[in-house]
Amino acid sequence: MRIKILLRGTLPKYWNGEKERIVEVAEGATCAETLKAAGLDYLEIPRFGFVAVNGKKAMMDQILQDGDELKAYSKISGG
Amino acid sequence: MTMTGYQNNVLRVDLSAGKSSAEPLRMDFAEKYIGQKGLAIRYLYEELKPGIDALGPENKLLFTTGPFTGTGVPCSGKLSVAAKSPATGTINDCSIGGHTALKIKYAGYDMLIFEGKAAEPSIVVIDDDKVTIEPAGELWGKGAHVAESMLQKRFGKDFGFLVIGPAGENLVTMACINSDYYRQAGRGGIGAVMGSKNLKAVCVRGTGSVKVANIDTFSEKLISYLQENVLLDDNTYVFDTGTTAFLEACNDGGILPKRNFSDTTDENWTQYNGEVMLSKLAGKRGCGSCGLGCGNFIKWEDAIVEGPEYESIAVAGPNADVSDPYAILKYNEVADDMGLDTISAGDVIIWAMEMTEKGIHDFGIRFGEAEKMREYLGLIARREGVGADLALGVKKASEKFGGTDFAMHCKGLEYPQYEPRGSWGMSMAYAVSDRGACHMRAYAPNEEVFAASIPPYTSEGKGEMVYGLAEYNAVKFSLCICDFWATLNYDIMADLMTEVTGKEWTADDMAAVGRRVINIARAFNQREGFNRKDDTVPKRIVKEALKSGPAAGQVIPEEAFNDMLDQYYSVMCWDKNGMMPQDLIDSLL
Amino acid sequence: MKRLKFQKAKCIGCQLCAQICSAKKEGVICPSKARIDIETSYDDGKLVYHDNYCILCGICEKNCPTGAIKMGDYIEVDPALCTACGICVEKCPKHVVKIREEVAVICDTCKGDPNCVKVCPQHALTFE
Repeated sequence: MRIKILLRGTLPKYWNGEKERIVEVAEGATCAETLKAAGLDYLEIPRFGFVAVNGKKAMMDQILQDGDELKAYSKISGG
Repeated sequence: MTMTGYQNNVLRVDLSAGKSSAEPLRMDFAEKYIGQKGLAIRYLYEELKPGIDALGPENKLLFTTGPFTGTGVPCSGKLSVAAKSPATGTINDCSIGGHTALKIKYAGYDMLIFEGKAAEPSIVVIDDDKVTIEPAGELWGKGAHVAESMLQKRFGKDFGFLVIGPAGENLVTMACINSDYYRQAGRGGIGAVMGSKNLKAVCVRGTGSVKVANIDTFSEKLISYLQENVLLDDNTYVFDTGTTAFLEACNDGGILPKRNFSDTTDENWTQYNGEVMLSKLAGKRGCGSCGLGCGNFIKWEDAIVEGPEYESIAVAGPNADVSDPYAILKYNEVADDMGLDTISAGDVIIWAMEMTEKGIHDFGIRFGEAEKMREYLGLIARREGVGADLALGVKKASEKFGGTDFAMHCKGLEYPQYEPRGSWGMSMAYAVSDRGACHMRAYAPNEEVFAASIPPYTSEGKGEMVYGLAEYNAVKFSLCICDFWATLNYDIMADLMTEVTGKEWTADDMAAVGRRVINIARAFNQREGFNRKDDTVPKRIVKEALKSGPAAGQVIPEEAFNDMLDQYYSVMCWDKNGMMPQDLIDSLL
Repeated sequence: MKRLKFQKAKCIGCQLCAQICSAKKEGVICPSKARIDIETSYDDGKLVYHDNYCILCGICEKNCPTGAIKMGDYIEVDPALCTACGICVEKCPKHVVKIREEVAVICDTCKGDPNCVKVCPQHALTFE
């Protein structure tokens, strides 16, 4: 299935500045697995923030559907 | 012992007597509370009698720097402005950016204390050690921007200015103090305290110096911390976007409030997000000693602001059901010029919108009416027409007209724009904050929403979590360091404190100061009669479930809220009623 | 010869340049004594830049009546020869020369390794 990944905050540095990619992953892939397939292991990124699926915050183990938009944020702080 | 980094000098201006005098800084206070927030609260605990009228001459207005101010320690340009709050009756310390903090320090002062009340509207001019009190003349009644411009023409760019607008003059308890035009000490009616003293403006020039213990090692560390820790991309996003970046994250995270906190998320958010606002960028400006430069100078037709900050966008945007970016910017500009806190003034107007729509009381304004929202700012600042009622603030206005269930405040300070049902810890952070609902005391979304680690929709572990955030901010703001140096840790703080003051500081000392600062603020409030009964959450948060976004269905059960309070009190060693034991208070003094 | 260059579009007006300059040269932090004076301010709805820094133009050297000012890769003032006459102050097109304690005080680009450049957080100041 095809997933569109968007990176926010400081994360694009892991993609040489790219902010958006479309990736092919197996049916039933989770947010974490999809990011890993795209070269982002969130456990290895010190200030990894959170993910949102189709504009809604999601847990890393949420299973994605074909055509979903997966957005990953680095940590932000302040107010 | 005397520590370097301080001027060891406090300027006390008695406005009733029209006199000023300098006195040594209470170094015993500085050793325990460092500077800024902590030091100011310790002074106010010492000098204010319990139960005084916050708008009476007995209240004191403190502008406080810290040992880092003027030294070039990165992000140390903030100035604390503190007094008893007329909005809440609690302690109130605000933090204002710009360049005036440095000018106060270079003028030779750690702190300025204004007491009493001038016989007529006045300004105070501090030119190094020369202090004069002059009539405000035609400045009185002018908008804050106009007044600052007039002052700048007269005194020149080397002066820094702290100015109130009409709201402060008219003792509106949502009034702010402006500096460098576009920076504000916003909350708790601090501008009304200044107005109650008949003080329109403080003008400061400083040409002196600040000494540190070891200038050579200090200079090298300053450069290396700046380049290797401050300028990490974890922090530099604020240069690129300012706080506008939070809009998308808050929307996706389910904490962007909509229509007076009746729901979260806004499908129109892309119409007024950072990209849109920053398309009109006309320049960048940071505070003195800043490395990051969050200030986006924006010109959109006749709307000129620096920012706009997330808070202002959210309250004048989705929370008012407005999506026109120009309207949001213009709201921000007018609020600044009127000398009104964008958050509290916005919250009272959106509350009035809901009151009108629900038919409880007709305030003549409905959601989405952006132009009217802007006009209401002027009415509130001048207490004219409907503005006279709205100038009461959400708490008192709802007590008079109804609608208390959706009056979004704690202790009379209106809610910031982070919806707690999507970040449960925030409801407790607002409740235990030392000045009512403030998002800067412990910023729970950092852990609950913007991180994958802590589940947001539970009370579990929130006592420790909120305490950790609060302790860190309390010491950071007592060091006068800006929130946006997010990678700053206790080791760096202690190292810089040692270099600047010449006294050894450890990371544990920093944690101890943070805890002490939270406690002295609580002790002040406890002396004013505050306890658990005042650490409240609006009915809406515990009764109504959110309808949209990732937090749809969420409501914070009262038991969960109470559980979080219990946990926090327990971490603080306060009793079940949120009261501090006397021996704890004694240990703070 | 390397010179200080300033790009105002990058400057955030933090004054760290003047702070580090005074720290290194005067032993205290005191922007009013710094050999560089770059700051910004708002004026009637405009962001205004004030950028006074040494551009190594050599005008002070050319006009010095006693030969106290020498310019190689950087400027050096010989306090034994300087009479504090103030001609360099008058002639400096960037208004960064000062007389203090009877001697001319001029930026020496930290002998070719300027600290203001090292501290500038946005690389508005460069040395090239």
